[in-house]
Amino acid sequence: MMHPSDEPLWDVVEVSKAYPGVLANDRVSIRLMPGRIHGLLGENGCGKSTLIRLLSGVDRPDSGEIRLRGQPVALTSPTGARELGVSTVFQEFSIIPSLTVAENVFLGRWPRRALGLIDWETMRRRSSEVLAELDIELDPDAITSTLSVAQQQLIEIAKAVAADAQLIILDEPTTALGLDEIAQLHALLRRMRGKGHAILYVSHRLDEVTALVDEVTIMRGGRVVSAAGKTAVEVDAIVSAMIGGDVREHYPKERNTRPETMLRVTAISSARGVRNVSFTLQAGEVLGLGGVLGSGRTEIARALFGLDPLTAGSIEIEDRHLRISGPSDAIRAGLALVTENRKTDGLFFNFDGRANISSASLPRYSTFGFLGLHREDAEAASLARQLELSRGAEDKSVRHLSGGNQQKIVIARWLLSRARVLILDEPTQGIDIGAKLAVYRLINRLTAEGCAILLISSDHDELLAMSDRIAVVRHGTITDIRAPRDLTHADLVRAATTEIMTEGRTAA
Amino acid sequence: MKRIFDAQLLGPLAAMGLVTLVVALTTNRFLDPGNLSNLALQVSIVSLIAIGATVVIFTGGIDLSSGSMVALLTMVLATLVKNMGVPLWPTLVGVLLLGALLGALNGVLTAFLRIPSFIVTLAGLIAYRGLALMFNAGSPIFSLDPNLEPVFYGRLLGIPLPFYYLVLFYGAATVMMNNTRLGREFYAVGGNPAAAKLSGINVRRVQTWAFAIAGLMTAVGAILMAARLNSGSPNYGQTLELQAIAAAVVGGASLAGGRGNILSTLVGALTIVIVQNGLNLNAAPSAVQNVILGLIILVAVGFDMWRSEIARAIGRRSAGKAEAGRGA
Repeated sequence: MMHPSDEPLWDVVEVSKAYPGVLANDRVSIRLMPGRIHGLLGENGCGKSTLIRLLSGVDRPDSGEIRLRGQPVALTSPTGARELGVSTVFQEFSIIPSLTVAENVFLGRWPRRALGLIDWETMRRRSSEVLAELDIELDPDAITSTLSVAQQQLIEIAKAVAADAQLIILDEPTTALGLDEIAQLHALLRRMRGKGHAILYVSHRLDEVTALVDEVTIMRGGRVVSAAGKTAVEVDAIVSAMIGGDVREHYPKERNTRPETMLRVTAISSARGVRNVSFTLQAGEVLGLGGVLGSGRTEIARALFGLDPLTAGSIEIEDRHLRISGPSDAIRAGLALVTENRKTDGLFFNFDGRANISSASLPRYSTFGFLGLHREDAEAASLARQLELSRGAEDKSVRHLSGGNQQKIVIARWLLSRARVLILDEPTQGIDIGAKLAVYRLINRLTAEGCAILLISSDHDELLAMSDRIAVVRHGTITDIRAPRDLTHADLVRAATTEIMTEGRTAA
Repeated sequence: MKRIFDAQLLGPLAAMGLVTLVVALTTNRFLDPGNLSNLALQVSIVSLIAIGATVVIFTGGIDLSSGSMVALLTMVLATLVKNMGVPLWPTLVGVLLLGALLGALNGVLTAFLRIPSFIVTLAGLIAYRGLALMFNAGSPIFSLDPNLEPVFYGRLLGIPLPFYYLVLFYGAATVMMNNTRLGREFYAVGGNPAAAKLSGINVRRVQTWAFAIAGLMTAVGAILMAARLNSGSPNYGQTLELQAIAAAVVGGASLAGGRGNILSTLVGALTIVIVQNGLNLNAAPSAVQNVILGLIILVAVGFDMWRSEIARAIGRRSAGKAEAGRGA
């Protein structure tokens, strides 16, 4: 092991960055030392990604300073950051599947000969050298698309080394990897540490972080809550720093659960990985689905809404057996799905607010195929008022509305369709706190009217506060259903990060 | 009905006005009643086919097959009437049905078998022309039926019948796009197919309908073509599909789908025909005419693409308001 120097390679000093409606980084400082692996931790939305974007030149800070070996520098573009020796491996790889390993390692910087022709000879030789140096066993001539995800990730790292990056940033590098592959990646990172590289390692998974990193910085709500050196690199200390001692936000939860059963799901499985899921949902109840990304929560929603065919099991709404072969059946039966990503599959950007609100209710407005435009107008406008949409939102293209108003439009769509069971997938993602509160109040209003809600959220505070019961989802199935009071924030964080749910906790 | 005359129509109308002014000032015969009535006849067939082309574009697809389908349908019509002695009116109904059916086939291949509409209809463009050549050993069939010509050349109250067809079909298409569930679903599917599916809209069925309507309008165009020339020929309708698409885009329909006004397509078709007419009256060679037509298409689509930037540059506050017509 080398002797790490005391001089930081990169020194981020009190940088702030605001996006519309949110202060994503609030005077964040972090020092990255050569020859050390630095863990950056925090829950979704804590500002980690923003910090990475600043360090890799994607965004520029509003204030504060970034220093390289003591000298203030401006990271104005990703190319500029690369030239200063920063290489970032994002979750979405930046490799071209149809090219060879060697071509990808030197992507965009292919060695040239006279006339600008690519010097294949040199490129192959140098990429072999880089791969050998990193102990990566890959054929430089292999086509990248034939390789596994883990191998493609190794190419990303080889790319960083070939570009002579002194700082390598890895954003959630292990989400798609198996245990062996993670071990291989860690071994590689340790070797690179030995060569004096600084590594910034961002991850959700505390067990692997504690096994790998030398120091950790923990962020919460856009701020550094625990700087490197102040937190022991061990799971309990990190968890308590991540979630904080106090409940930061106030949730206006109302309990409206009624005795009658609204939705009964019995042993359903789907082609997309839902396995033997059973639960009931009472009128006025909010059932939260907790679990890591990719645990199968969205897939359960898709199966219920008729997007993925059921391979087994049955669904009953208000004691009527449901035959769902597509979303239109689900909607007719009173189901609604507010998807995670309103921009890709929620909103019609070619429509004004009104047509967006009514898109799931067209059958009701049509007589012999003709739409009752006046009725549509009136009902959409009255919903817009009830939901306190910004003035004139019905007549504006939804592209000109804020994220919060867009989300209200999507929810209004399902109020208009008279849904009885609403599935809300990450309903407060990417909207500001005021709009979040509006969504919470909407949940209260719906449950007060007897609607049942299935709430999927990666925001654990929100899930704990707004749910009447919480189901923990893992590998496509529900492993446990409990009241939120029997479940702590730490339990959920643990379940989401180490995938170990302590069994049999009793109410405190 | 102020919606019909929304901002989407104003741009193309202004462009047409400008073109008309230029042509009227540079020629002395443009405003002759004879010339104008000739124009109406000239524009009618392509404008009617353009209704279908536009509806398909609204749903995010493209129909390249209509020109060849016109040839095929005129040959079917001629063969039935002339060679097989089938009465005229049942034949016309049959041709309309066949057109709708061939269109629906395009739709099924696109929507259910998930072959891109560009490819499906490119195959149609090639294959329908070939099918047309299989009739009557590939030769045209002339002098079909004395009752056929009046379908195109007839007049009612002194006005040529094609004028009434334009009013009828564009009126129906406007009502369909603005006032019916299917019209709204066309825009929804073209705007965001994933969101349309999640709203319970049967995306595939809607896409199939759009192509069926395109096929029906192509059949209408084919009947008028046969009536105008009192014949069927495997060579009819060449590049008609491109003229129809040109009318749609000059009228401001977005090839990305979901956006546009069906009446603008008529304005687009008129604009193109007026320019051609002006060039004819000024004795411009046809080579020059084609170059100018190409430039018009570029400018019209370019203007549509840069509209928001232009609006911003001019400093208008709400560029969005113009874009966000109701449901389009």
